[in-house]
Amino acid sequence: MALLEVNNITKSFGGLCALRDFSIEVEKGEIVALIGPNGAGKTTAFNVISGYYHPDSGKVIFNQKDISNLRPDQICSFGLARTFQIARPFQGISVLDNIMVGAYAHTNNNKVAYENAMGILHFLKMDGIKDQMASRLPIASRKRLEIARALATEPSMILLDEAMAGLRPSETDEAIEIVRKISEKGIAVLLVEHVMKVVMSLAERVLVLHHGELIATGKPEDIVKNPQVIEAYLGESNVTS
Amino acid sequence: MGNMSTHSINNQNKLIQFLFGTWERTQLSISAGLLLLMVFSPLVIKSPYYIGVITLACLYAFIGISWNIISGFCGQLLIAHIIFIGLGGYTTIVLLNNYGISPWIGIPIGGFVSGIAGVVVALITVRYGLKLDYFALFTIALLVALRTLFLKWEFVGGAVGMYLRQETPSLNRMIFISKLPYLYIACSLLLFGIIIQYLTYKSKFGKYFIAIREDETAAAALGVNLTKYKTLAVMIGTALAGLGGGFYIIYVTYIDPTGIFNLGFNAEMVMASPIIGGLGSLVGPILGALVNKPIAEIIRANLAEARSGITMIVYGIFLISAVLFLPRGLAGLIQTLYYRWFHGITSTHQEGE
Amino acid sequence: MTSEIFFQTLINGLFTGGIYALVSIGLTLIYGVMVIVNFAHGEFLTIGIYTAFWSVTLLGIDPYMSIPIAIIIAGILGAVIQRGLVQQVLDSHPLHQIVLLVGVSLLLIGVIQFSFGAEPKAMHVPYETEVIQLFGLRMAIPRLIAFGASLFISIGLFIFLQYTKIGKAIRAVSQSRQAASLMGINVNLIYMLTFGIGAAITAVAGVLLSPNHRMIPTMGEAYSVIAFLVVVLGTMGNFVGAFIGGLIIGLVEAYAGFYLGGDVKIIASMLIFIVILLFKPSGLFGRKR
Repeated sequence: MALLEVNNITKSFGGLCALRDFSIEVEKGEIVALIGPNGAGKTTAFNVISGYYHPDSGKVIFNQKDISNLRPDQICSFGLARTFQIARPFQGISVLDNIMVGAYAHTNNNKVAYENAMGILHFLKMDGIKDQMASRLPIASRKRLEIARALATEPSMILLDEAMAGLRPSETDEAIEIVRKISEKGIAVLLVEHVMKVVMSLAERVLVLHHGELIATGKPEDIVKNPQVIEAYLGESNVTS
Repeated sequence: MGNMSTHSINNQNKLIQFLFGTWERTQLSISAGLLLLMVFSPLVIKSPYYIGVITLACLYAFIGISWNIISGFCGQLLIAHIIFIGLGGYTTIVLLNNYGISPWIGIPIGGFVSGIAGVVVALITVRYGLKLDYFALFTIALLVALRTLFLKWEFVGGAVGMYLRQETPSLNRMIFISKLPYLYIACSLLLFGIIIQYLTYKSKFGKYFIAIREDETAAAALGVNLTKYKTLAVMIGTALAGLGGGFYIIYVTYIDPTGIFNLGFNAEMVMASPIIGGLGSLVGPILGALVNKPIAEIIRANLAEARSGITMIVYGIFLISAVLFLPRGLAGLIQTLYYRWFHGITSTHQEGE
Repeated sequence: MTSEIFFQTLINGLFTGGIYALVSIGLTLIYGVMVIVNFAHGEFLTIGIYTAFWSVTLLGIDPYMSIPIAIIIAGILGAVIQRGLVQQVLDSHPLHQIVLLVGVSLLLIGVIQFSFGAEPKAMHVPYETEVIQLFGLRMAIPRLIAFGASLFISIGLFIFLQYTKIGKAIRAVSQSRQAASLMGINVNLIYMLTFGIGAAITAVAGVLLSPNHRMIPTMGEAYSVIAFLVVVLGTMGNFVGAFIGGLIIGLVEAYAGFYLGGDVKIIASMLIFIVILLFKPSGLFGRKR
């Protein structure tokens, strides 16, 4: 059974249907990408999976547990972590303290949390900025902090919401490395991305959303040539490679 | 830093590092220093009036800490915090007057009652999703409702209020001839408050409080149970407030609904110190109380022959000035200076905490 | 409750409600345009009532003649407070806004107390106990005048907001600060004006309240709280909602006063306040601003 099973999720807001019959499976240790033009419903999908919205119909099953109607903090404690499209650091405290908030997810012990956080800092090569105030970080560091915090909760799967948006090419390469390292640790990754270079180099499988519905799924190289996908993106200037 | 070969200079530096090595340590050192100042003030200050001012300043600092945990650390706009001070006060005086229970027990019970009340308020608020302005208004509605209830409730004296039963001075009843014991009890309370505030700050739930204040949504994604921790923050703060209220009543020997359950008094006792000192910081409530209470008293005693209304004008100006010119309070100002002056010593820090 | 008492209470409730409506309209106007809850709102009523007192005792004029004076004093004060103080925190965290306005409230109360003293005062007019009988119901003249004036002012303000250029500008800013400024509206001026109008109306309510009414410097708090309740009840920023809400609460208080007694009737309003906040914070008229 897959680590994450999303079965026929439908979610509407008022009259607008954001997701229709959306299904996805992610196996343990996989890297899967979810792409689609703006407004396709990708972030809605993330919000449903991570508990910020409850689906109108359908189920979200994680590690064989039905998490469809759970709170975000409960879902996190089961091992499903997420980042946000626009980074949300805790501005008034240091980078280290930010990560410690995540590190406390499975422990009450200060020392354990501290060591966990320091480990994450090291893993992501952030040792130098550990005492910096989060409000003063440049965008690349903020995005990295997003990931660091989520990792500190010791997830078995992480949802990365446009973690590469707004990065320079060199920063993007670093970020890709980070995602690889995360995957090497056995953590499954579901990423939403617009930057095609990232999708091509990381994803084992790609799913394409358009107007809330899945229109294609397959290997990255096949998806890029898929006529339906290309048509969905026509006029979309967000596809960068 | 020059030739550091002598032993004593090394020790001096170690001491400075210990006391002021980080901003956190610095805050604690300042707090300890201020507390010691107050404890030893009777050596220099003989007038009972001013001893009384210092006693109240200590109490205001303690109350400020209690509000700081809720609104400063956790960012919850519990405006009418005075509710819980009043509840603690009434509990203590009722237990003493009606049941003869010593304040040494009555005050902690007051804290307990206020803590429970806080939990109820917090749970209702979170359950119904009352945020920011709406939460603030809710607490004000509760304040007015509570005041009305107490005005009509004969058991607690109704509109007349309750006077502390006249007794011969005794330790058991917390009635003293001299003002000094009250000062020391207030200082002990403050010490207790400083410790609780610091332990909170260093603990998991303290970090969670701050995370909730900074960004609830992100905090939830990191495993923070918002209901649980908001309620915890409120509970700790209101329980401490109850303790403070209990002592306050013993000290001023009188309580009545109109006098205690009102927003003007709330602004003076609850809000002024942390706002002026720096809401959210460790040293803010203490610094603020020690600045604003004595100044307000001196102005009141000396200016315009204690003409009515001066205190309110002073507090009004304090609050307005704090918001406009010192949004991070005096602590924020000192912090900025700290990073400029002590930059050389605190070499492990670039900026930030 | 006999039918006579029922209608008498109805009239009393409406008359009180008229005052509440005026005060609340001022508050909701400020909120609608600036999205800020004026925690110093009640103090403008206090300013109004003490202006009336001062006019009568010092200038010897009829209190209603002091309405223009109250409008000028409160209007200018409100505009100055807005421009000088509130403006700085318009985009700040609500905590800062609340603390600032609480500070303003304390300052105003303090000044009033300093000027007039803390002891309760009352200002008397020769016709204060005069009553006219209409349809078998007794109406105290001052209260009747107050109600009439409230209606007149509310309707006048409504027309002003709907049909005049400035009124439309105010409504534009309340809908979108950005769009309004892009259209060439001087948003800062509108802010000043709105706060000034809100303060002035509230001060007028104070003047209308003044005949034989007990005055203490801290009386504003009670009216602030009622205004908060009415504004939430009538939906924040909704002019008509504030008017209707004011009348409703006036009626609620009147009937509660009959059943519960004068000093406890506020509990009925507070219960409504709590219920509304918990179950329908967007108020009777729907969408939260």
